Amino acid sequence: MLRIEEHPILGSLKDARRVKLDYDGREIEGREGEPIAAALMAAGVRTFRYTKRFHQPRGIYCAIGRCTDCMMIVDGTPNVRTCVTPVKEGMKVETQLGYGK
Amino acid sequence: MLKEVELAIVGGGPAGLSAACEASAFGVDTWVFDEQSAPGGQLIKQIHKFFGSSAHMAGRRGIDIGDSLRKRAEAQGVHVCLNTVVFGYNDGNLAICDGRGVKEVKAERIIIATGASENVLRFPGWTLPGVMGAGAAQTMMNVHRVKPGRRVLMVGAGNVGLIVTYQMLQAGIDVVAVVEAKAEVGGYEVHAAKIRRAGVPVLTSHTIVKACGEESVESVVIARCGPDFKPIPGTERELKVDTVCLAVGLNPLTELTQLIGCRHEYDAALGGWIPSHDDRMETSVPGVYVAGDLTGIEEATVAMEEGRIAGISAAESLGKVSADKAAALRTEAIGRLTELRSCSFGRYGPGSGFKPTRAADKPGGEIDLSGGLGVIVECDQDIPCDPCEKACPTGAIKVGAPITNLPTVNQSLCTGCGSCVAACPGLAVFLVDTRKTEGDKADVTLPYEYLPVPEVGNEAAVVDRDGKTLGKGRIVRALASAKYDRTTLVTVRVDKAIALRVRGIARQ
Repeated sequence: MLRIEEHPILGSLKDARRVKLDYDGREIEGREGEPIAAALMAAGVRTFRYTKRFHQPRGIYCAIGRCTDCMMIVDGTPNVRTCVTPVKEGMKVETQLGYGK
Repeated sequence: MLKEVELAIVGGGPAGLSAACEASAFGVDTWVFDEQSAPGGQLIKQIHKFFGSSAHMAGRRGIDIGDSLRKRAEAQGVHVCLNTVVFGYNDGNLAICDGRGVKEVKAERIIIATGASENVLRFPGWTLPGVMGAGAAQTMMNVHRVKPGRRVLMVGAGNVGLIVTYQMLQAGIDVVAVVEAKAEVGGYEVHAAKIRRAGVPVLTSHTIVKACGEESVESVVIARCGPDFKPIPGTERELKVDTVCLAVGLNPLTELTQLIGCRHEYDAALGGWIPSHDDRMETSVPGVYVAGDLTGIEEATVAMEEGRIAGISAAESLGKVSADKAAALRTEAIGRLTELRSCSFGRYGPGSGFKPTRAADKPGGEIDLSGGLGVIVECDQDIPCDPCEKACPTGAIKVGAPITNLPTVNQSLCTGCGSCVAACPGLAVFLVDTRKTEGDKADVTLPYEYLPVPEVGNEAAVVDRDGKTLGKGRIVRALASAKYDRTTLVTVRVDKAIALRVRGIARQ
């Protein structure tokens, strides 16, 4: 499991409301308030999009909304920075191909 | 829609919040804008204890420093606007965007404290999922509580690389090695010591050659490198990892100061282009001030002092504090700043880095145990830091002035209380006690910040400063106390012959 439940400094993971996401047709669970990228990484997802010309995989790089490597199609909108966009119940998250259009 | 304020601060990290605390204390109507959802900047993921003096809340963890700056700012009436991006500057007004839309802010004074972002390093495979900034991994672990991988290679042995490596171990992630292209560790030796004793090799004069994998990182190739940082053919080796973290420096985020038209200058040692400013932190554009990593990559303690100076100066120019009082406060802050920057690692330091003062082959060898107690302070660099001195109830440990002095120990005054062991932010103080042990045994008390905490009565392997097993010991005490702030004091009973060399117990 990739979730850090117990931590020597931060203590036990606090309870949070669980949020269900549709990731490429598969149901995954996130914690309310966290970004989409965190929920995907916790579920073991590493590839968030493929580049347009060479179809190369891309994943999390900066995690602070600067590098745009983590862009995905969220509820139909392409190029959403998943590292700074919080999860919402029922959100549809799709791996983005190229520009997503 | 136009909003009018006296002081707008862009960035709610240590510099911006410190500026807000100072300015609002003089009655300035102060607004902080930050694009993140929590204030504190990068402090929100700094779970280690900070160096510095009491003026910088030294010895406290970064997360708690950020929290107390935020609380103080809010108590003084500062408006902290989160999830708010400052994206433009037009006719003297800032353009901001929050969840509800776009606004213009007309501010009489502006302080920019936007911080820095991580540098990248290009090598074959650098775009593969699993290659990420060390700061990104730190955010995932410490803010979102997600492991960014299971087996990691850390690239870069500056303070960021060393600290994030330690925090990965704390989160239960394996770090197979740290590679550093330079011949020396760039960060503080105490940070390197924490991970060496945990068994992580710190490979200097080594570089990453490539990351391999189809969909994501499956392995990396590393090699020795020369002073030109080029891999030496024939020295390559492959390591099985799923994650590569890059800790290869930071660069100041100058977009906004460029947009405003501030004059900039290039300083490679400070991270690249930085806005020129005077000793009041005012830029070439009157009324626009800067503070923190934007003005050069330094420590959070420096950012706090610069923020204070910018906040005082802005308040002065708004007529909220007299010139005399502002000058006096600035002089104090500049004095502390000069002290912080005068260590070997600082802006004014010789830049030569590490000069060991104790022979590496005789760790602790100079300590006389005939009085039954010995304090080993393995702090060999002129780090500006004094919590050990502050923690000692009997004055046995002295740092004095300047704060970059190495601590000295008067062993005859030590009572064996262990406060210094818990207080040292570098986890570099160890206590050897033979007063209650019989025969050839000695008790070693050391700082411990992993889970699970060792159980009293259990046997444990003890290691030296390089993580090599010295032998076995028995845990006789594991003391957690609120005043130790989540550092557990673990006492292990070992053979006296090895006691002075014990620096850790093998993680369980």
